[in-house]
Amino acid sequence: MKAPKINSLRLLQISSGTLILGLILEVVTLLWFHPLSFVLFAFVAAALIGLGILIYLAALALVAAPPDRQS
Amino acid sequence: MIGALICQIVLSIALATIFLFRPSLTSRTGWKIVAFIGLCVLPALCLIGGMNLHVQRSETTRFCTSCHVMVPYGRSLDIDDAAHLPAQHFQNHRVPADKACYSCHADYGIYGPLNDKMRGLTRLYLQYVSTAPDPAAIRIPGGFKNAQCLHCHQGARSFEENPIHTAMMDSLKSEQVSCLGSGCHDAAHDIANLSHQKFWNPGK
Repeated sequence: MKAPKINSLRLLQISSGTLILGLILEVVTLLWFHPLSFVLFAFVAAALIGLGILIYLAALALVAAPPDRQS
Repeated sequence: MIGALICQIVLSIALATIFLFRPSLTSRTGWKIVAFIGLCVLPALCLIGGMNLHVQRSETTRFCTSCHVMVPYGRSLDIDDAAHLPAQHFQNHRVPADKACYSCHADYGIYGPLNDKMRGLTRLYLQYVSTAPDPAAIRIPGGFKNAQCLHCHQGARSFEENPIHTAMMDSLKSEQVSCLGSGCHDAAHDIANLSHQKFWNPGK
C-alpha cells in the first residue's frame, strides 16, 4: 500500500496559516494586561508558532530529501 | 519595546500571508530566503521577544494585583503605618515600587523563576478551574523565608550594625528565628484588618 504523497507546498500553506494564527494571538496577549494573557501566550500562541516553524522545517526537509527511486 | 515587537509580528504576519496564498513563489531562490526569514527566523524572534516581555510583565506590581485575590494585598501596600513592613518598603522605595511583590516574594534560587511561575499557574488554576481561595487564608508554602530579606539586607550597614540583628545573626541566617514571626517585624499584609487601617494617599 502506498503512503499518501505529502505536497511540500501544502505544508508551506499549513505552516503559514498556523504561524499567522499564533502571531495574531500573541498580539492579543501583548495588548491584554491580565494574568490569563500569560497562560494564553505560553500554552496556545507559543505552541502554534512553534508548530508552524516545525511544519515549515518539515516542508524544507521534504524538498531536500532524495527522490524516491521507484517513482 | 512592545511597539517594536508588534511591528516585528506584523511584518512576520505579512510575510506568512504571502506564502499562505502563493506558496509556489518559493521555487525561486530569492523567495526561498524570504520564506526562511518569514516562516522561521522572524516567528522564532517574535516567540523569544513575546516570552521575554510576558516574563518581565509578570514581575510587575500591577500584574500581581490584577488577580482578584491579590487586590487586598495590593491595597495593604498603601497602609499608613510605619510598623507595617510591606507598606514601608513600598512607600519608601526600599524595593522598586513597580516590582514590589516580586522583590520580596521571588525565589532567588537557581530554579526560582521557574518555581514562581509554577506557583502562579497553580493559583490561576485555583482561581478559574477549582475553588478560589479566601485572600486572608492564603499562606506562602513553607512560610516566608529570611533568605528573601537577607537577599537585600545582608551586608547593609544599617542592618549589620543593629545590635539586635548582630546578636541573632546566625539564627536569622539558619532560619531558626523568623524575621516576621518573632515579634520584631510581624506586621505584614494585615488584610484581615484592612477596613480599620488609615491609607497613605500620595496625591494629597
